[in-house]
Amino acid sequence: MTEPRPSLSELFWGMLQVALSAFGGGLSAWSQRIVVEQRRWMSNEQFLTGLTVARLFPGPNQINMAVYIGAEFHGLPGALVALAGMLLLPFSLLMGLGLAYFHFHTIPSVDRVLAGVVAAAAGMALSMGFKILDQYWNDRVALLLAAVVFLALSLFDQRLIPVVLIAGPLAMAWYWPRRQSNP
Amino acid sequence: MSGLLAAAVACEPARLSHLGTLVQVLWQFLSLSLFSLGGGNTLLAEYHHLAVAQFCWLTNTQFADLYALAEAAPGPSSMLVGLLGLGAGWREGPLWALFCAYGAEAAILLPSTLLMVMACLSWKRLELSPWRVAFERGLGPITLGILFAVGLKILRTADTNWAGVAVSVLVCVLMLRTRISPLWFMAVAGVLGGLGVINR
Repeated sequence: MTEPRPSLSELFWGMLQVALSAFGGGLSAWSQRIVVEQRRWMSNEQFLTGLTVARLFPGPNQINMAVYIGAEFHGLPGALVALAGMLLLPFSLLMGLGLAYFHFHTIPSVDRVLAGVVAAAAGMALSMGFKILDQYWNDRVALLLAAVVFLALSLFDQRLIPVVLIAGPLAMAWYWPRRQSNP
Repeated sequence: MSGLLAAAVACEPARLSHLGTLVQVLWQFLSLSLFSLGGGNTLLAEYHHLAVAQFCWLTNTQFADLYALAEAAPGPSSMLVGLLGLGAGWREGPLWALFCAYGAEAAILLPSTLLMVMACLSWKRLELSPWRVAFERGLGPITLGILFAVGLKILRTADTNWAGVAVSVLVCVLMLRTRISPLWFMAVAGVLGGLGVINR
């Protein structure tokens, strides 16, 4: 059973709680725990539908998830309030760090530590493609598409938007669901 | 190559206090928002292009630093856009920088948020539509290609010595094979940097 729908201010504080809980990582696990189990705003099924929509549409997944939760109860105002609740603290903290960075990054010892951190972060960026490679391993057309897109961006230095605008419709045409043989 | 160097020297940081530049920058961020497939990290190479090559707000090194900062800090890593805004406004004082930061983040989030709200409201109809199926299946491989290009771009931008590249590759493997929090990798690599093992 789910509780009655949350008000706008409850939405804001709930998402703030999610953001605070997730300071060590695991944002989507925390939002499930708080939104579904603790506050009972939506059923697990509703939440999982949200994850599907959030992954499908453009925008960062975790942020789209906050939009979904807010929009589910209060439409656009709900989405904006949930977004603000989720982002306000971590974003302000990051901007504080950013201001500190622009003040201090020319200090040699700071720069040396950052060089190390950057090497690790580059490894994280490198892993993103490999992480989803498995699911396409048996689909030759998918691998070909990925290779063409990769070459267009990396080797021929094309911009993302035109590449997606050309490759996207072609890929969609290829993967358009085939009609069933029985009428 | 010399032409490239000359272009790099001639590159003047674009000021957001000029209305024409501001409109141009806003338009770029607003339109990129709708192309942030696969969770937003697909835009990293475009952010690099805008901030380093096109508008000259940041150097390569600064971009790599800010990316690492956004990954290390709690919260969604797409908040990097705020840091780019900070870099864009920094020369005109910290208050203006913060204003640019919040503006940049709003611009990158607004279109995808509006689209997401519309998607939520009409999901029941969309769910079974062939457009949704084709979009989901078709954009997956494209996202794959973009993510590999982004990984390579960030590795090039990091531009560390061989020890740094070895650490990057090791972190990549550990990210795929273990569930260790990446914060540990960044902490250990930071120490290696401080000791001078990794440099750039």
